[in-house]
Parts: sequence; structure tokens; C-alpha cells
Amino acid sequence: MVVAQQQKAGTFQVLVGKIDDVLQYAIGDPLRYLANWGRLYSLWPVHLETACCSVEVGAAAGSRFDIERFGTLEAFGSLRACDLIIVMGTVTRKLAPRLKLIYDQMAEPKWVIAMGACSITGGLYFDSYNVLRGIDDIIPVDVYVPGCPPRAEALIQGIVLLQEKIRRMPTLSGR
Amino acid sequence: MRMTLESEYSPDADRIMAVSLGPQHPGAGHFRIRLWLDGDYVVKALPDAGYVHRGEEKMGEYRNYTQNVPHLERPVILDSSNILFAYSLGVDELMNSKVPPRAQYLRVIMSEINRIISHMYFIAIQGLFLGHTTMITWCMGDRDFWIDLGERIAGARVTFAYIIPGGVRNDIPEFAIEKGLKTCDWFEKRMGEYEKIFYDNPMVHQRSDGVGVLSRDDAIAFGATGTVARASGLALDVRKDEPYSSYSDFEFKTPVLTQGDSWARAYVALLDMRESVKIIRQALKGLPQGPVRLKLGPQPRVPAGEVYSRTEAARGEMSYHIVSDGSPRPYRLKIGVPSAKNLRALPHLLKNVHIADIPVIYWSLNYWPVEADR
Repeated sequence: MVVAQQQKAGTFQVLVGKIDDVLQYAIGDPLRYLANWGRLYSLWPVHLETACCSVEVGAAAGSRFDIERFGTLEAFGSLRACDLIIVMGTVTRKLAPRLKLIYDQMAEPKWVIAMGACSITGGLYFDSYNVLRGIDDIIPVDVYVPGCPPRAEALIQGIVLLQEKIRRMPTLSGR
Repeated sequence: MRMTLESEYSPDADRIMAVSLGPQHPGAGHFRIRLWLDGDYVVKALPDAGYVHRGEEKMGEYRNYTQNVPHLERPVILDSSNILFAYSLGVDELMNSKVPPRAQYLRVIMSEINRIISHMYFIAIQGLFLGHTTMITWCMGDRDFWIDLGERIAGARVTFAYIIPGGVRNDIPEFAIEKGLKTCDWFEKRMGEYEKIFYDNPMVHQRSDGVGVLSRDDAIAFGATGTVARASGLALDVRKDEPYSSYSDFEFKTPVLTQGDSWARAYVALLDMRESVKIIRQALKGLPQGPVRLKLGPQPRVPAGEVYSRTEAARGEMSYHIVSDGSPRPYRLKIGVPSAKNLRALPHLLKNVHIADIPVIYWSLNYWPVEADR
């Protein structure tokens, strides 16, 4: 009796699983692709300058390199509308709690680009008493852009890599 | 300084609102201003610097004189040659080394190129804060031509690390001289266009005339330097007052304005760039022949002693106090940066102004937080 019930429940679960798969292939995947396709061409970075790499971000946003071609434009409005942090260089002990706070305030899905040697490992300032040795201790990082400072082209390549990552993101809701 | 709102403004504390501007704010990057507001007016403003303090001076004590070069230019990445110029002058004086004339000219060329790069960024962001999008688009694009010229001479994009103790790192390539003269000609015409579209613009005049006026006496009292002092009628210019390197060979003027407002502080930068172009052209045309670098070895020995050296950087007077005890490393390295000197005027300038004027006044001081925090 019990075994039969279990078998029945088993077939029911298999059926549910099949329907789930069909729904996933028919609706879920195209929907996920569509949503991520929309996200990857409209990345809005937070205006958070942490150190000197902000000059190269300024140059990249300027009329010569123009990262707006890749759909990236600095959002000067609310943090809630942003989905990308470009950590522009050194993060000091005073700024680190602020960086965490800003990351926590942003809505999902959100991505982080660590720009410059300082935000990856501490860079030139690895032995300074006031500098964090890499930001990945406090927030998760998606793309590392090495350089001191990275050229504007390197930042653009980092953004393209992030777009590739978003396109292949397996879920709809981010992480 | 610990201060509470109640103790400061007890009579009408319910009128006054305390607001924090920054560090994540489009009007103030890596920098925070604590504001006390009465409606649309600022009652009191306290700058909160130190978000980019990286301990440059302490780091300088456990690196030798050659290793100090790359990290000392990072604080002023916009103006990287001028901060190294002061350091190199100081070390040269300590070591009693005579820098070859060609190296002196190349140092001047590079530091003037960097002054233009820095002022272009300054004007671009000033235009952005005034809502003048043309200025940031033009200046950010035109700035790259000067960066390209610097790249052709030194090899790196913004951190040139070109001026080092004992001369410059490498000789100028022949095509860069030609390219430099062409860039000078083009840029002089271009500056006329800036004047037409930005400085003579009635909108820019309305937004920045009489905003954040720093009188001559106040400029002296707060110890302002550079563009801020020159806009307030103080003819301060280390290149003229105490000619270092080969600045006495060139003909140039020190632009001085008397209005002392945000417009004048932005306009002084343009006049400065005109003079820089003149100096670059004279130096490129009269470049002497000879070596460009003294052989110091990887770990130069510096005799014991102390030195105070100063240069005119883009933002004002850049100074170094280097104490040596005869070892390969400096015993003490003190950097005096112009941004920190000009920041003292900010609380005074932000009294009784509209909230909308805060970014304009803040940026017109030509303040670069990374430099001020060191």
C-alpha cells in the first residue's frame, strides 16, 4: 500500500519536473535571455570616486573613448537606480565602511568592477597603514581591471567582459 | 573637532537641518562636506577630508630615493610631473648635482604640459557643475591630445614618472617636438573658442559671477595659493618669485584677476594655459643639446642634511621638506600640497550661499582630494 503510494507520488513528481522543464525551455530561458539582454546594455555605475583612477574613468566617459557607446553612463541620481560599482582605485580604512554601505543600498542584481591595482591587491600602497589590500574582502567582485591606472581602453574591455558575464547569467534574479 | 547641532544652534535648532554631502555625491567625489542648512541657505559648512589618506609620507621613509618616484606622483595624477619636479629639485639640491640644461628644459616642457592637462580637467568639471555640457565634452576630448603628447615623450598615459632625481628619464623623440609645436598652434585657436562658448556665456556669468567671493585680505589670511590666490588679486607664482630650473629663460606673465569669484577662478586657469603654451613653444624651439640624465645608480647615496624645495604646480605651490641622515632612504619626507592650503577657504566661502552653488564654489577652488589627503 505504502509502496504504491510512493510510486504514485514518484510519477507525479516526474510529471511536475517534466512540466517544469518544458516551462523553463519555453518561457524561462527566453525571458531570462531577454531580461539579461536588457540589463547588459544599460549598466548604470554609481558615482563613487575612491582615488586617482577616477581620472581615467572621466577620460573614458569623455568624448574620445565614450563608454556610453557600450550603454554605460554614470548615474548621478539615486543609488537605487544603479546596478554597477566601478571601484576607482585605493580604498582606505575611512572609505571602506562607506563602500560596503553603498553596495548594500543598491538593488539586486548588482555588479562590481575592481579598477586599478589598488582595488585588486593594494597595488603600490600594499604596505601603507591606511589602505585595504583589495576590496574583495568586503564586497564581491565580478571583473578585475588591472593597471595603475588602467587605460580607458582597459576599462572598456572590462565592461565588455562584464556584459558577456551578464549575458550568460544562469538565473533571472542575479546571484 | 566634536560638534553637536544643539550646542551650536540652540536658539532655533528646529529650523536648522544637518545634511551630509558626500562621499558618494556627484557634487563631491571622495570628499564629504557636513552642511547645516536653513531652508535653501547654508548656515555652516565643515569639510571632512581624509577619505583618500594613503600615508605617502610614511611610505616615503621606507623606500629609497629612486623607489619613491612612482608612488609620489599618484596623489596628483592630473598633475603628476609638477609634484615630482619639486621632489627632484629637493633631491638634486641635497646631492649637489648639476642637472644638464637639456634635462632642465625637458622638465619645464613636461610640467607645463601637465599644467594644461590638469587645468583642462578643472575647466571640464567646472562646466559640468554649471550645467554646461559642451565644456566637459570638448575639454575631455581636447585634454587627450595633450595626454597623447605626454605619452609620446614619456611613454605612459597619465602617470608619466618623467622627472626623476638627476634629470629626466629619457630623451624627447624628434617627432614629438614637431607634434608639440603643432599642438600648441592648434590649442591657441581652440582656447579662443572656449572663451566664446564658456567664459562669455551669459548663463555661466549668471551662475558664477559674485558666487563664492574671496577677497584679497581673506586670500592672504587663509593662505591661498595658485589659481585661487591669482583670481583674488594676489600675484603669487613661484616660477616668477623664485625661478627654479630654467624658468628664468622664458618670457611669460603671471595672470592676475581681481574679482575673486568662481568665474575668475575658472578664467585664471584659461589665462594660465595661454602662458603655458607660450613656455612650451619657447622651450621646444630653444631645446639645447646634451645629455638628459646624470648617472646616479639604482640606490643613490644622499649626504645628510635637509632641504625645502618648491614649485608652482597647477593648483598652486607644491613644496617638499626632505630630511636625510645619509642613508639611502629619506629620514622624513613632508609634502606640502596646494589643495590642502586652498581647502581652508571653503568653510568661509560656503557661508550663506544657495545649495545649488555648493558644487560650483567647491570645484572652483581647484580642489583635488587625493592630493590634499596625500
